[in-house]
Amino acid sequence: MPGRATSLAILAATLCAAPILAVVWIGLSGETGDYLRHLAGTRLPTYLLTSALVGLIAAGGAGLIGTGLGWLMARTEFTGRRTLGWILILPLAVPAYVAAYAWLDLSAAGGPLHAATGGLFPTIRGSWGAGLMFALVLYPYVYLLARNTFSSQSADAYNAARTLGAGPMSAFSRTSLPMARPAIAAGLALVVMESLADYGTVSHLGAPTLSIGLIRAWSGAGSLVDAARLSLVLVFIAMLVFGLERAQRRRARSVNAAGRHKPSPRIRLSGLPALGALTACLLPLTLGMLIPLGRLVWLAAHTETAPGLVAASWHSLSLAGITALIAAALGLATAYALRSRTAIATLAARAAGLGYAVPGAVAAVGVIAILSGTQSLLDPAWRSVTGEVFPILLTGTGAALVFAYLSRFAAAAISPAETALARVTPSLDGAARTLGASRGQRVWHIHWPLIVAGVTSAGLLVFVEVLKELPATMILRPFNYDTLAIIAHNFASDERLGEAALPSLLIPLVALLPMIFVARYLSRQDP
Amino acid sequence: MKRLLGEARMADMRTVLSIRGAERRYRADHAALAGADLDLQAGRITALLGPSGSGKSTLLRAIAGLERLEAGSIRLGDTIWNDARTHVPPEARRVGMVFQDYALFPHMTALANVAFGLSGPDKQARAMTQLEAAELGHKAKAYPHELSGGEQQRVALARALAPEPAVVLLDEPFSGLDRRLRGELRERTVDTLRAAGTTALIVTHDAEEAMAVADQLALMDGGRVIQTGAPDEVWMSPVSATAAKLLGDVEIIEASVTGGQAETPFGPVDANGFEDDQPVSVLIRPRAFTLSLKPEGEYTITRRRSAGPHLTHRFASEAGEWTAQTPAPSPIQEGDRVSVELDPVYVRVVAA
Repeated sequence: MPGRATSLAILAATLCAAPILAVVWIGLSGETGDYLRHLAGTRLPTYLLTSALVGLIAAGGAGLIGTGLGWLMARTEFTGRRTLGWILILPLAVPAYVAAYAWLDLSAAGGPLHAATGGLFPTIRGSWGAGLMFALVLYPYVYLLARNTFSSQSADAYNAARTLGAGPMSAFSRTSLPMARPAIAAGLALVVMESLADYGTVSHLGAPTLSIGLIRAWSGAGSLVDAARLSLVLVFIAMLVFGLERAQRRRARSVNAAGRHKPSPRIRLSGLPALGALTACLLPLTLGMLIPLGRLVWLAAHTETAPGLVAASWHSLSLAGITALIAAALGLATAYALRSRTAIATLAARAAGLGYAVPGAVAAVGVIAILSGTQSLLDPAWRSVTGEVFPILLTGTGAALVFAYLSRFAAAAISPAETALARVTPSLDGAARTLGASRGQRVWHIHWPLIVAGVTSAGLLVFVEVLKELPATMILRPFNYDTLAIIAHNFASDERLGEAALPSLLIPLVALLPMIFVARYLSRQDP
Repeated sequence: MKRLLGEARMADMRTVLSIRGAERRYRADHAALAGADLDLQAGRITALLGPSGSGKSTLLRAIAGLERLEAGSIRLGDTIWNDARTHVPPEARRVGMVFQDYALFPHMTALANVAFGLSGPDKQARAMTQLEAAELGHKAKAYPHELSGGEQQRVALARALAPEPAVVLLDEPFSGLDRRLRGELRERTVDTLRAAGTTALIVTHDAEEAMAVADQLALMDGGRVIQTGAPDEVWMSPVSATAAKLLGDVEIIEASVTGGQAETPFGPVDANGFEDDQPVSVLIRPRAFTLSLKPEGEYTITRRRSAGPHLTHRFASEAGEWTAQTPAPSPIQEGDRVSVELDPVYVRVVAA
């Protein structure tokens, strides 16, 4: 088992790391095209500035919503808290661009919000609009980590601060909040990365971030080298974000040094405070899910359905399904390999984890680089044998897409699998062995029942992510091969929002069920 | 109990903190505190001993202001901390608390932890002085997880003492440490508290530990303080079977009084002032029994166990079975017949 698991972990690491390595190699070795030189003098500063602005607004908004809700859920008790606990995770099922389509339609001149408020309601667009959309649908990343850390914090630290003369607010801001900071920062890093990786939202709302520049370099100028170079800038920023997140942790830890802790009693809210808490929970849900989805339902109901939806749905489902299955398997294998504690397994897990910091467009550029490199390498030999051109790996199949998806999302399946597998302690294994269970029996009767929910949830998370994915799909999809995200994007960028509504709606609707499973699973994990 | 509290008050000791009738229930059917009374004397260490669930931690947290009382009062000198109308918040109470898991702030260095409760321009210097007194000056820049368990406990104590609190509360402060370190740290903690001249309350469930650290011992059971006094005095004269059991193994024989004496299988013992025909419990510490080998003895040894400096012998007759503590080495083996004598010093008669 360890041997096989380790080789699968290495495969996962290779899948995840190869595209980024290819991007680095091409970016550093190729000739500089005119396009990039031109770009550096003109649009690049704008791209960088917009990226920074969008990232900051997204982080600020998601940080505020996620931390606040995380604290409410972890430390207070009010009617409806339990249910809201997992419902608050569901906005992850809504792609930011879907929210953006609906909000721009509602708030633009001629839209119902604009009309109803006499033009007072600001139009949701530009960097502010995009940042806001990201905050509304990505806050669950911060919320999940903040909730977890607030509920596992020992109440004693807060109490100790109180006995040392700090009032309630001061004790919170000097102990509870800084102790939660590493978790919040990790969530924020994810939010920023997702915002920078996005293409659909920023292109629809007119916030030219680096991904826009990247896609333009590839689809407009057709230069792999330039695309790779821009990718490098993006990857550099990603490393910076995650580096900052790590650096702020330094040596300090967020958990209490002595392992034991007393669960802190929840503050019971009733009356006005309870109503306030309920409102605080329902507000982001309404703004991030109910209003945009409601608007799309209305639009879809008032527009004739465009053709090709069935095929696109099938493509989306099968791509997401296949990727999810493989990612879950690779994640599980990596988690098993990590249990062996060998250096190679650790290295493989790290390398695979790298993928999550790589925006989809960059992964796509990397995959193109690898596949075209392989093609030009094999083509002469193939020709001499068969007399024909080497079959096109690049656009012929969905395999390239799955490759890119895996390189981006397989990492997301590793840590849930690891968490799940951590429940299978060595002593459980030992107990089963002393009772005479064979390896197969142990895996089937002990491991599997304990990890199945975690592994399923990891796979479903990848499923949802792939369903929502746009930029990598745009770059790598085979000719005339549409997914729901592609159709929605194409209609939306043609200003045909009525036709975009149904495919846009289908993504969160399909994603909702798996997301509910994931949300409930994650909420059960919390103390 | 009232009598004992009265005695303590007469003994000319300045009461710093007094608790009267403290009540707190978590559930309707279970009171964590059911009218607890306790006095803490200036500069003395009181150990609060009780089994888990007896309410001792709740009492400690109530003194710190971390729990609200439903009835009763807590006052520091003339200042009311708790009564029917008042609940002074923890930050306004001037208590220092050492938590069971130390509750060091994990994101702050040892020095920053100690300085937390201080204010003023010289707070770093004062924190450093405190840390140096704990012989941890060299660890000032270390984070809690970089310290050993014993060092963490010392930082926690330094942090609690730094603001010069009126009372220091310690919640099972040695329970997280291994046995060897425990004794050493216990001595060090007592020395530190004495050097600081602080009034301290230490909660523990370990009788030996309680007696080792305490100037005054308070026994707690069922949400009440059932006895207070000097450790020797409490050990020698427990007020009830429950109090006796808290401090160590004890044999309890139900008896009735005749002629000022309580009858036991080992002969009559002084009834401690109880009147005739009153039902009483005779409390016998295992060391009160003296066993002698005698072929025609009335009792048979049913079990023999070594326990280091002494042994325990279980002995039986038709009247029952008891445990004796005998000095090692002992020739008495399992199956031997013995006679038994009782040393009255370790026997006490209480109300049944």
